[in-house]
Amino acid sequence: MSVLRFSFVLIIFLVLATQFFVPSTSAQIGEDETALALARAEVRVVSAYQAVLNAEKTGANVSGLLAQLNDVGKLLAEAKVAYRLGDYDGAVRLTGFCSEISERVKNEADRLQSEAHGHRIMSHWLIMTSSLVGTVAVGLGSFWSWRFFKSRYYERVLRMKPEVSFDES
Amino acid sequence: MNLEEYRTVFVAGSLILMLIVSAPTLGLIVPSMRTESFSELWVLGPNHKAEDYPFNIKVNESYSIFVGVGNHIGDLSYYLLYVKLRNQTQPLPNATTSESSPLSPLSEYQVFVADGGTWEAPLKFSVLEASRNDDSLSVGRMSINDVTSVVTTSARWDSEHKGFYYQLFFELWLYNVASQSFQFHNRFVGIWLNITG
Repeated sequence: MSVLRFSFVLIIFLVLATQFFVPSTSAQIGEDETALALARAEVRVVSAYQAVLNAEKTGANVSGLLAQLNDVGKLLAEAKVAYRLGDYDGAVRLTGFCSEISERVKNEADRLQSEAHGHRIMSHWLIMTSSLVGTVAVGLGSFWSWRFFKSRYYERVLRMKPEVSFDES
Repeated sequence: MNLEEYRTVFVAGSLILMLIVSAPTLGLIVPSMRTESFSELWVLGPNHKAEDYPFNIKVNESYSIFVGVGNHIGDLSYYLLYVKLRNQTQPLPNATTSESSPLSPLSEYQVFVADGGTWEAPLKFSVLEASRNDDSLSVGRMSINDVTSVVTTSARWDSEHKGFYYQLFFELWLYNVASQSFQFHNRFVGIWLNITG
């Protein structure tokens, strides 16, 4: 009987004790989760930025993506402020938006980069081929012009009549 | 002119023409000369001019300024702009050693600026709580862009300039792709505030 009573009291005590321990534990998890979500969002933002940077270097028009990146930056800054103020729910929600847009920006930047890369290779080939053809044409043209000029020059020299002049002094 | 001289003129002319025709290809191979790369950071008053900056600050009154960044780095750049508050004795960033101020930021902006582009945003601030104790004034809370931050800074009475002086300043950090981290970009700018309580 006393064991039963003891068990009953213990259960009641444990149930009451959870009221005090559970909120503090979940708050701790909330903070850690938020910090993790922020770190993940930062990685995604950096990844999106690098994708846009590479696309820009390849020659893609990234003005549209730049505006989206700035939206992401604003969200990330707001999430950090929310985290500092202890609004973990708000911070996690903002990092969610942040990661979502970053992912979209990264995919779009990768697509633009591969498109721009194809165009770039084409234009490089065009420039190099036309330069080569132009250089060869100038070289051959100069050679033939020189030959033509030289033959005309000799003809002119051969047509000349030599004159003998005397010194009368 | 004799034939030898004509030949020299022909060869020189041909070489110049060949160089002009091959210039686009040479442009792809030879790296272009880069000018000095730098970033700009500025603060403007409420009328979008470098004048009428808020100076005498009353508690619970709202003031606005504009902060801007210009990118002349040569690539799209990722900037981090910290907003900090200091009294006259607390450290500013050290321009000689390129070290940032150790003070905690009250707010921050994360911005992406294209090469040759600029970014500008309004900043609204107000002192929400300030308490005066003899010759010192402590700022307890401050609002920046409608977000309240706890500030634990106090300023002593400046008898020379007659006021409790604080400086609201901005630090510019730049994301370094090679080191995969933000680095202080050795640019900072600020405005002095006389918090009158």
